[in-house]
Amino acid sequence: MDPATLGMLLFIISEIMVFGAFFTAYFFIRVVGGAEWPAEGDHLPKLIAGFNTAILVSSSFTLHYAQEAIRKDNRLGLQLGMVATFLLGLTFLFIQINEYVHIGFSPQDHAQGTIFYGLTGLHGAHVSIGLMLLAFVTIRSFRGHYSSGHHLGFEVPGIYWHFVDVMWIVVYLTVYII
Amino acid sequence: MTARLRAPGLPRAGFFLVLGTLFCAAIIIAAREAYGFPVFADGGITTKAQNAILLLSLLIAPLWFLIGLGAFDYWFYWAAGKKERAEDHSGHGATSWTDYFRVNTDHKVIGIQYVVTSFFFMMIGGLLAMLVRAELAAPGSQFVDANAFNGLFSVHASLMIFLFIIPVFAGLANYVLPLMIGAPDMAFPRLNALSFWMLPIAGIMMTASFVAPGGSFSTGWTAYAPLSTSAPLGQMFFTIGVQFAGVSSIATALNFLVTIITMRAPGMSFWRMPLLVWANFSTSLLVVIATPFVAASQFFVLFDYALGFNFFRPEKDGDVLMYQHVFWFYSHPAVYIMMLPGFGIISEILSVKSRKPIFGYRMMAFSLLAIVLLGFTVWAHHMFVSGMQDWIRIPMMVTTAIIAVPTGIKIFSWLATLWKGVLHLDTPMLWALGFLTMFTLGGISGVILAMVPMDIYVSDTYFIVAHIHYVLYGGSLFTIYAGVYYWFPKMTGRMFDERLGKAHFWLTFVSFNATFGPMHLVGVKGMPRRVADYAEEFAAWNLFISLSSFVLGLSTLIFLYNMVSSWRGGPRASANPWRAFTLEWQVSSPPPIFNFDRIPTVVGGPYEYGVPGHVHGIMEPAEEARPKQAAGASSAEEGV
Ligand SMILES: [Cu+2]
Repeated sequence: MDPATLGMLLFIISEIMVFGAFFTAYFFIRVVGGAEWPAEGDHLPKLIAGFNTAILVSSSFTLHYAQEAIRKDNRLGLQLGMVATFLLGLTFLFIQINEYVHIGFSPQDHAQGTIFYGLTGLHGAHVSIGLMLLAFVTIRSFRGHYSSGHHLGFEVPGIYWHFVDVMWIVVYLTVYII
Repeated sequence: MTARLRAPGLPRAGFFLVLGTLFCAAIIIAAREAYGFPVFADGGITTKAQNAILLLSLLIAPLWFLIGLGAFDYWFYWAAGKKERAEDHSGHGATSWTDYFRVNTDHKVIGIQYVVTSFFFMMIGGLLAMLVRAELAAPGSQFVDANAFNGLFSVHASLMIFLFIIPVFAGLANYVLPLMIGAPDMAFPRLNALSFWMLPIAGIMMTASFVAPGGSFSTGWTAYAPLSTSAPLGQMFFTIGVQFAGVSSIATALNFLVTIITMRAPGMSFWRMPLLVWANFSTSLLVVIATPFVAASQFFVLFDYALGFNFFRPEKDGDVLMYQHVFWFYSHPAVYIMMLPGFGIISEILSVKSRKPIFGYRMMAFSLLAIVLLGFTVWAHHMFVSGMQDWIRIPMMVTTAIIAVPTGIKIFSWLATLWKGVLHLDTPMLWALGFLTMFTLGGISGVILAMVPMDIYVSDTYFIVAHIHYVLYGGSLFTIYAGVYYWFPKMTGRMFDERLGKAHFWLTFVSFNATFGPMHLVGVKGMPRRVADYAEEFAAWNLFISLSSFVLGLSTLIFLYNMVSSWRGGPRASANPWRAFTLEWQVSSPPPIFNFDRIPTVVGGPYEYGVPGHVHGIMEPAEEARPKQAAGASSAEEGV
């Protein structure tokens, strides 16, 4: 296997374990702690977050589109796909921040708030890192890098972005749905 | 001057460190002003604002330092959309000592940087231990108060674990592992350099905690919440220092794994790898999977401490025991992170020095992997008296006892390797044998501690201190000494002084046992650990322990003197002074700048000592290493 791809996969294992530790905290607070759940009046906006989930998931598809494009040396497709992916990711982040502003409780209020902000914030930080990588790739795609035979520098950040998307589904299902 | 501040290097790093601190101060002052918190009071900055600036600087300023040093230069270059540039190894090698103080991508330079840095922090940690023992030489208070005492043993343990044992193994492996598998370098040389430079940051941070307002962190190396979330600011020097050490260790582990999987020389199948490579493969798996948990646990503490989150506040439904679960889910595997590379070193040395094949090579590799798996199933044996659910105790007791099986397989395989061998009792071998005996003792007290009733009885006594030092000093540190002596000729091109090496071993071996052996006794009698004072009845033993520990401390100076003087003026070492098969000994001492002038080909196992005519590696590329007629046949085919 190519070293960069293998390195990214191993890094993702580490990332999964970071999330694992936060999920551990979540279930300790929710299940072992045994406090009333959800706390008085703190219902989460499932629908808006669900809509936001759809946005993030669709960004995985646009990224895949860009990937298919560069495999056929379709530079315009690559650029369109990258810009769309980047904008979708950015939209996700904005909606998430907007949710924080209007949600009505803070991490200082109770442990439930702490772990809600903890998990979604951890994921938000990953989206930000992913967006940074996507920005670099987008810049490079406009500068004429990558071709059908040479697009590893595109694939490796791409794997990371897909991971961020899949991780969000898990976070969404845990925090908002169950 | 401006030129020096522009070029990557330590001057620019120092300059950026100052800039980074000012940057943090600006952020804090602006944020506090914006939210209406007091910033300025009677001509100065308020204490709260000062502390906030210090805390943020701990997190952010080191990154500025690394940028100044040039650790990120290539990535910035890449991010700007410029052409990709594969590492051209132009920065390889060290021609003078100053080359060790810059970002160097040569794994051999980085290996030495790692080893020297970790021994530096080991000396600081050792000095702290001497202070601890001086205070404990007699009952009552000698010259530090109780809180300062807590700080001494906390920083001692943290430095020894995070800045010495874990990184020194990474350093040794950094040097020899690529050579052993026939690779020109690690898979990601730039990441390798970055990993190293995060280490001194973590070490200096932990050491500097003594000057923090309120004193150094004093919660032990375990930093249990909520003790740590309500401690003075010094605690954050640990919380954040661990993050840097942790990132460094994950990045190195990732690098090792990719290097081992993708960069082995032709013919070096997994079942022909030296056991040191297997050991670091297993260790790296543990690091990649477990270390994120300690990072997360310290993030929780940081958030509770700095931002008023409620992870560990019971009055806000937080869960205090959750800290211990998350922490030990890392920190039990961490004891194997601190031991498995040592197992690898011992396998190399015992086989070479008894001139016999290693006994049960495959079982040795499988038992490493078994330890990796089982290591994740035992964490709560550190929590038998924590007040967790009772039903977890028995399963964890059983799994802990089961780990003795793969470990026992290794011990017996080593014994069988020695059996009827031609033993060369020189310095590396003495340390290896010392490890074998001392680690077995530590393992036995470990199995005793796994038993719930016994554990409850000796919990938080000196029995625990005795156990951990038998496995980490008599275990890990003895393997480190063995490894440093064994590869010293390869790393420096010089031989060490054998007489001093033996004196170092015997003095350490005797004073080590005199120091930590009696701790079992006073522990069983009930002397509590981590307390500055103790009952009169333990006075005699403690004086004996303290005096022995000073001898133990002095014995380390022999080692230092031997290393420094031999490196400067020892006799030149030949390429293969131990007559070993593994590839690192088939090149000159020290190795050429790109390790192998020609890619080697591996044709047999690494340990078949005493087997007539055995060859492990041939220093020729695969095509030329093949028998003559086959080569002729293949070229004839090409002709068609
Ligand atoms: Cu343990």
